[in-house]
Amino acid sequence: MGQAFSRPLIGSVLAITVGLGTACSHSIELATPTDTIPSANATVATDARVPLLLETIRVTHNGSSIAPPAILERQVLGAIEATRLFSQHYQSGYQQPTANQAHVTVRLSIDNLVEPHAGQAAWRGFLVSASMFTLAPFISLNYDYGAQMSLEMERWDGQTKQYTATSNGSAHYNLFGAGPEIIEQLKGQVTEACLSSLLNQVIQDSAFYLASHVQSHDHPIRTVSVGIRHSSPHAIPISQPIAGGSPR
Amino acid sequence: MPFSLRIITTFVLGFIMTTTGVHAADVRPTITVGTQEVGLSVGYLLPHRLTQDHTTKQEGVVFMPSWMITITDPIGNSWYRGQVSLGAEMVYVQFQEPFITHGVGFAPKIKYTFAALDRIRPYAEFAGGPFWTDLTGKVPEESGQFNFVLMAGFGVSYFLTDQAALNVGYRFNHISNAGTSYPNIGLNASLPYGGFSFFF
Repeated sequence: MGQAFSRPLIGSVLAITVGLGTACSHSIELATPTDTIPSANATVATDARVPLLLETIRVTHNGSSIAPPAILERQVLGAIEATRLFSQHYQSGYQQPTANQAHVTVRLSIDNLVEPHAGQAAWRGFLVSASMFTLAPFISLNYDYGAQMSLEMERWDGQTKQYTATSNGSAHYNLFGAGPEIIEQLKGQVTEACLSSLLNQVIQDSAFYLASHVQSHDHPIRTVSVGIRHSSPHAIPISQPIAGGSPR
Repeated sequence: MPFSLRIITTFVLGFIMTTTGVHAADVRPTITVGTQEVGLSVGYLLPHRLTQDHTTKQEGVVFMPSWMITITDPIGNSWYRGQVSLGAEMVYVQFQEPFITHGVGFAPKIKYTFAALDRIRPYAEFAGGPFWTDLTGKVPEESGQFNFVLMAGFGVSYFLTDQAALNVGYRFNHISNAGTSYPNIGLNASLPYGGFSFFF
C-alpha cells in the first residue's frame, strides 16, 4: 500500500521538477560565434605605435538614432585597448592628444536590428495562459538581435580606411526562463562578436597605423604582440540568420 | 471598522510608507522582456441581474494577489504602443450578500499595457480559471460548488517610482460552471478595484 502511494507521488514530484526545470530553460545562439573567428596577430614596434582618439559612436536602433549607452563606449574603447595596437586611448569629450601629436581618429557606426517576435510571443503567451501554464515547458519564445558595425579610421595624414562587420544571434527561452539578463547577454555577445570581427580586420592592417621611425643603434627595438581578445560566450551556431537581418 | 476595511487600510498605508517619493520627471519605468510584477488588488463585487432569471444580488469584497511576467518589448510606434504580460492571480471573494460565504479561485491572466506615456499606463486585461465557492449551492442561478470565473476589464497604472505603481480599474466578473451541473445561469457582477504593483 505504501509502495502504491509512493510511486505516483514520486512520479508527480519528478514530473513537476522536470516541467519547471524545462520551463525555466534558455539558450543563446550566435550566427558567428566569436571563438570561430580566426584571430589575426602581429608583432609591432612599441615606439612606432601612436595614440588613438575615439571621436564618435553613432548608434541606430531599428533605423532610429539613439544616444550610445555609456557602457557601449567603454566596451568599444576596452576592446580597442585590449589589442595593444595603439599607445594611448582617448575619448572625445575627455583628454585629447596634443594638436601636433600623430594619432588615429576612429568613428564607429552601429546599426542594431531588434526583432522581439512580439506578435508570436503574444499568441504563444495566450496559449500558455489558456493551458493553465501546463504548456509552458513546451512552448519557447524567441528574441533576435543583429548588429552591423562600420568603422572609419583616419590616420594623422588624412588617409582613411573603412571596415564593416555584421553579427546576429537569437535567444530562445521558456516563459519562466525569461529575464532581462538573457536579452542583455544576447546583445553583449552579438556586440562582442561584431567588434572582434572589426578589430581583426584592423589588426591585419597594423602596419598602416604605425608611425615610421628610424631606430638608433643605441636603442634596441622593443616589440609588442597585438591581436584581439576573445571572450568565451559558450554560444552555439545557428543555421538561420534573423529575419530581415541582412546588412543594409 | 470592518475587518476587510482594516486590511485594505493596512495595505494602502504600508505601500505609501515603503514607497520612496521622487520628483515626477525622474519616473521613467523601464519594463523589458522578463520584467516581473507582483501586486495586490482589492475590489468590491456589485451585482448585475441581466435577465429575469437572475435574482441574486451577490456582493462582496475581492482580494486578488497576482504575479505577471512581461513577454514582449513594446509593440508599435503609435498611441497603441504597448507590451504583453502573462501571469496568474488568486481570487478570493468574501460574499457579504445574500449570505456570508466564500469563494477562491486561480486565474491565469493576460494583459496588454499601453506604454506610450511614461508614468501613466492604461491596460486591458483578461483572466479566467477554476473557482470554488459555497455560495453557488445556495442561490437559484448556480448549483455546484465547482465553477469557473472569467474577468475582463481595463485599468490604469500610475507609477510612483520606476518600480512601484498604483492601479485602479474595472472588471466585468462572470461566475458559472461551464455546464457541469444545472442550473447554470451564471452570476454576473461589476468589479471596481484598486491596488498596487512592484516591478523587478
